[in-house]
Amino acid sequence: MSSIRALAEELAARGNDSLRRLFAVRPDLITPGVPDFAALAARACARVSLQRALETLSKPQLEVLEALVLTTDEDEGRSGSAVELRHAVGNATLGTLDSILAELSQLALIYRADPPDSIHSASGSRRRYYQPVARVREVLGSYPAGLGRCYTELASVSQFFAERAPDIVNAIPAAAQQQHVEHHIAAAYALERWASLPEALESAPAKAREVLAKFTNWPVGAVPHAEARVKPGRRTDNPVDWLLSHGLLVPLDDEHVELPRPVGLALRGGRIVPELSLDPPAPPVGSTSTALRRNAALGAISEVLRLVSALAVEAGERAVETLRAGGVGTRELRRLTAALRAESDQTVLALELAAAAGIITLDVDTSVWRATGADEWLSLSRPEQWLVLASAWLDSPRVPSLAMSPEGGAQLAPLSGEGQRPDAAAVRRRILEAAAELSSEAGSPDGRAVVITAADIRTRLEWAQPRLARRLRGLLDGVLAEATMMGFLGSGAVTRAGAAVLHGDFDELLAFLEEVLPRSVDKILLQADLTAVAPGYLEPGLARRLALLADPEGRGPATIYRFSAASLRRALDAGEDAASISAFLAEHAETTVPQPLAYLVEDTAARYGRIRVGRAGSFITSDDEASLAGLLHEGAAQQLGLTQIAPTVLVSNATPQEVALVLRELGLAPAVDSSLDPMVKLQRGRGPAASNGLLRPTPKLTVPSQDDVEAQLAVLRNQSAVTGNADEAAPMLGIETLQKAIRLKRAVRLNIVDALGNSTVEELRPVSISAGRVRVFDPERETERVLSVHRIIDVELA
Amino acid sequence: MSDGPLIVQSDKTILLEVEHAQATEARHAIAAFAELERAPEHVHTYRLTPLGLWNARAAGIDAETVLDTLLRYSRFPVPHSLLLDIEETMSRYGRLRLEKDPQHGLVMRTDDYPVLEEVMRAKKIAPLLGPRIDGETVVVHSSQRGQLKQSLLKIGWPADDRAGYVDGIPHPIALQEKGWSLRPYQRLAAENFWAGGSGVVVLPCGAGKTLVGAAAMAQSSSTTLILVTNTVSARQWKDELLKRTSLTEDEIGEYSGSVKEVRPVTIATYQVLTVKRGGLYPHLELVDKNDWGLIVYDEVHLLPAPIFRMTADLQARRRLGLTATLVREDGREGEVFSLIGPKRYDAPWKDIEAQGYIAPADCVEVRVDLPREERMAYAMAEDADKYRLCASSETKTEVVERIVARHAKDQLLVIGQYIDQLDEIGERIKAPVIKGSTSVKERQRLFDAFRAGELHRLVVSKVANFSIDLPEASVAIQVSGSFGSRQEEAQRLGRLLRPKANGKTARFYALVARDTLDQEFAAKRQRFLAEQGYAYRIVDAGDLAKD
Repeated sequence: MSSIRALAEELAARGNDSLRRLFAVRPDLITPGVPDFAALAARACARVSLQRALETLSKPQLEVLEALVLTTDEDEGRSGSAVELRHAVGNATLGTLDSILAELSQLALIYRADPPDSIHSASGSRRRYYQPVARVREVLGSYPAGLGRCYTELASVSQFFAERAPDIVNAIPAAAQQQHVEHHIAAAYALERWASLPEALESAPAKAREVLAKFTNWPVGAVPHAEARVKPGRRTDNPVDWLLSHGLLVPLDDEHVELPRPVGLALRGGRIVPELSLDPPAPPVGSTSTALRRNAALGAISEVLRLVSALAVEAGERAVETLRAGGVGTRELRRLTAALRAESDQTVLALELAAAAGIITLDVDTSVWRATGADEWLSLSRPEQWLVLASAWLDSPRVPSLAMSPEGGAQLAPLSGEGQRPDAAAVRRRILEAAAELSSEAGSPDGRAVVITAADIRTRLEWAQPRLARRLRGLLDGVLAEATMMGFLGSGAVTRAGAAVLHGDFDELLAFLEEVLPRSVDKILLQADLTAVAPGYLEPGLARRLALLADPEGRGPATIYRFSAASLRRALDAGEDAASISAFLAEHAETTVPQPLAYLVEDTAARYGRIRVGRAGSFITSDDEASLAGLLHEGAAQQLGLTQIAPTVLVSNATPQEVALVLRELGLAPAVDSSLDPMVKLQRGRGPAASNGLLRPTPKLTVPSQDDVEAQLAVLRNQSAVTGNADEAAPMLGIETLQKAIRLKRAVRLNIVDALGNSTVEELRPVSISAGRVRVFDPERETERVLSVHRIIDVELA
Repeated sequence: MSDGPLIVQSDKTILLEVEHAQATEARHAIAAFAELERAPEHVHTYRLTPLGLWNARAAGIDAETVLDTLLRYSRFPVPHSLLLDIEETMSRYGRLRLEKDPQHGLVMRTDDYPVLEEVMRAKKIAPLLGPRIDGETVVVHSSQRGQLKQSLLKIGWPADDRAGYVDGIPHPIALQEKGWSLRPYQRLAAENFWAGGSGVVVLPCGAGKTLVGAAAMAQSSSTTLILVTNTVSARQWKDELLKRTSLTEDEIGEYSGSVKEVRPVTIATYQVLTVKRGGLYPHLELVDKNDWGLIVYDEVHLLPAPIFRMTADLQARRRLGLTATLVREDGREGEVFSLIGPKRYDAPWKDIEAQGYIAPADCVEVRVDLPREERMAYAMAEDADKYRLCASSETKTEVVERIVARHAKDQLLVIGQYIDQLDEIGERIKAPVIKGSTSVKERQRLFDAFRAGELHRLVVSKVANFSIDLPEASVAIQVSGSFGSRQEEAQRLGRLLRPKANGKTARFYALVARDTLDQEFAAKRQRFLAEQGYAYRIVDAGDLAKD
């Protein structure tokens, strides 16, 4: 029976609880909903879904599944149970194997099958027998359990090996079983059934055995001029040549060799899995003081808030420019780094966070990042600010660390398209979960806090989810660095705040941060060396005004503002005056204003504007002060907007021509100087601060909601077990039949629709299937054709 | 988080809030490993440097203590990377040790094989080493002890020198505490030095560094070489030693430009030792040919480069460095650390002042408006002449007269850089001028008269900057200075900081021409003085009378 049908029946027979558990682990099965069990089973056998499901498997589960795949054969009706697997898997009891098989079955990766014919009568019939579902073999790849292919398969793949196989076999009397072999298929079979293989391995030269040991975990290796090295029957001292000549390694092409499965198995003592790794590796964890841990976490949180606040303010004053190719360039990054008083890596993180949280958004017209969400974010309380950043980071499809200073290799520009990784959010979450598991397992030895290293997490992930771990490896270090800078990890373990965000306990998080984050300060300390010290996090408004009056310096929780004549002049330019500055200082100073500072403010203000610069449309000058004074009192003065800036000079907003016209009307005879047009002042203001819906984040769902699951169950239960012609399942069933026909080299009857909608039934032999197309051999016309899968209505084995 | 007095910044500075209840406690805790950088009235800034951390390691403080201290007193979370950095830096000190091996002589040992391997591969270090004895030990050419330590410090693996010292020729020296006694911090400084073997004692001007030297000499009771900056200073050392110790006139020799005496205790000037003839330093022999038990370096922060080279060859002798500041204008702090030794004692300036040993000073900057024609001259002058023009303005002379009139009864110094200006001022206020051309004898006579109170006013040029003890000066007027050097400032103020008999506040006037380079340099000076914690005021020359 088709594995999809078998699985559909099995799923229909399951209880609701069992289905709920399945949906929790494989949510893609019911998103979107399925109409019936057949469709459900078909979806469970789809390649993408299987890939995802395999990624959730732990190392022992994957090992047992691989062993089952290697020991069973669907076409021959050879199914497997714990009894068969016990021979193939070391260090495993029947009970262990049974429970792992039950887990795999629960995940719908294997299905219950009839016992093989040989077992039927025996007492073993009470055991449960399983087959892997369709396409698990395909998804696991060519080398399940790291074992190579059979000799027969290799003979069909490698032309060179096929040609040499008879010679190789005839040179090994034990393998040829005293008969002379002529044909390569016979030779491959002979090698496959090579009874004295273990002895042959025993008697191999020591160096050859060393070479073989390198193939223990992976069967393919690179060997230059592999084909030329096969010299059956001739003496050779080179271990690789020896192995190739004795058929223990098989050349795939001129560059690669493969260890055939029988040899691989013999090297592992006949077992597919020499030792089942049941327990997760428990790395010896280091420890640190709890004070340090707490310090590290809170330090990181405060720092990240400082950075993003500074960026929000900076971007508000001057938009962040981008490169033509996208992303923020080195020069702009350097400018921001200086403005943020940070390391460049911190600036990168701040930029990415601000973008992820919607604090800055890309203005598509001008290609600059504007601080559109800055005001809204800055108005939040500090714990809320962090929560927004932390959630944005956790769910971001980007990896900021890719743009941080690289160790070799080119650096990406922050906020560029290359920083995108579709699986970033899932990877990040999984890495943090692994860190959390490790730290909770280790507990707190002697009241100290555990330290988890990247290597520990890597080892754990390789056990817990070996297939996923391969994808995580590249991002692990970067994600850990980001997590540390964010305060998710502190001195090597998940922090309380980080755990709360991971679990979605937002209220608890806010309460916790409210309690531990230092209060903001609104008083500054003024000193005679012309500095103001803000001993902590300063209210943003206050900080902005102070930054106008004095230059901030220093990096860390506190900021030192240094007053100078230049900084005060900047403030005077912005419209402050001596009185307003003194009042501001007096109001916010915890102590009295030191005399040198007061002197500096007074002195600078008093000398400010000795040379004044202004804007005027035109000027009127005359040696006759009286006539100018008279002009000022004419009605025309209002009309021209005249202002006297010196006894002999008036200025007007109007153009010289207009002024001349009015003056002539008044009976004067002005001479018009040729003057330059007033420059148009460039406005560099802030964009409209529209609210872009920066909402308080809600916990992200990684599993379907309870309601969805129940609704789905209701739909499924209303249908009969297997409706057979269920729409969604049909193509999958058809493909499964085609694949079976390809494997068994059998013909199928295909009902095919042509472009005009006419259907015809043809008997054809499928050759291969991929990318929605089937290559078929038409025995009648003796030609090959390619058909689109979607044109095939029905498939039946002929 | 605790509500501690410290704020630890990620730029490796530590801010200490002075008014905090735990401030004193925290100050003492961090002084051991952080350098005080700025000490204005409310918030003091300390800096964590590798040298400071290694100094702490040399004093037996480990990284855990440092981290604990920071976490305990810090108000906010301490940047984690900083903590890691401290641990890493501190763990570097002492991984390599210089030791005496009974069989092989001077050797370098380590417990950390890769470090030795790394160091031995360094290009500058390989030639200093002899054959390797085993994985963890390598022979060091004993002549290269100093050079090796210097090079090791440069590549970040400072060595712990435990190879001991030669005793030198014994010579009995004892302190004679008659009518005076060693102050507690002086005693502590001398003890710390002796326990550490070699190193630097940091004490502010006027805190009695000479006595620390004398105490160390008494402890060593062996022949001693004292290196000082100039002849006047050498005489002062001699007088002080005669007064405070059992040493007699015959036992103390002076080795300077004019006299070349070698006695059990010899005081030599840096200048004479660094005289070069035909590519050689003829007087360095004094150092090499005698079996000194102790070498004292006065004003370590001024140590000239040839003396460093000479010191590199003297690593087997005990070395005591005395200074008011470890800051060197040339940035050679690392050489002081590796060649003379780690800091053995450091007293916060303000602490000693609070104990009443040095007089507090009141600093007043007087802003002088240049008259119109001088301003025009200034505006049109070449850059090279600008400073001289504004600093030696006519108007300043007149202001000096007014100040002098106000302090008619005080012992008063006028300090300046330009001789013409000083001569004119000297004439106007009827005071003698000490300048480069004044003979040593004449200088001595004038200083003696000033000290005795026979002379109330003295005008001095740059020559008076260093090591001339004028304890009775209570008012100083600086009319011009050399481009705002930090060191010069400390020295000038040092003149005034010697304890006053009547406990009066010393006053330091700096005359500054408004809107000129002079004012720019004054701003630097103001920052420095305010950072040192001095009360600092700015007044206009016109408002001086109201002040």
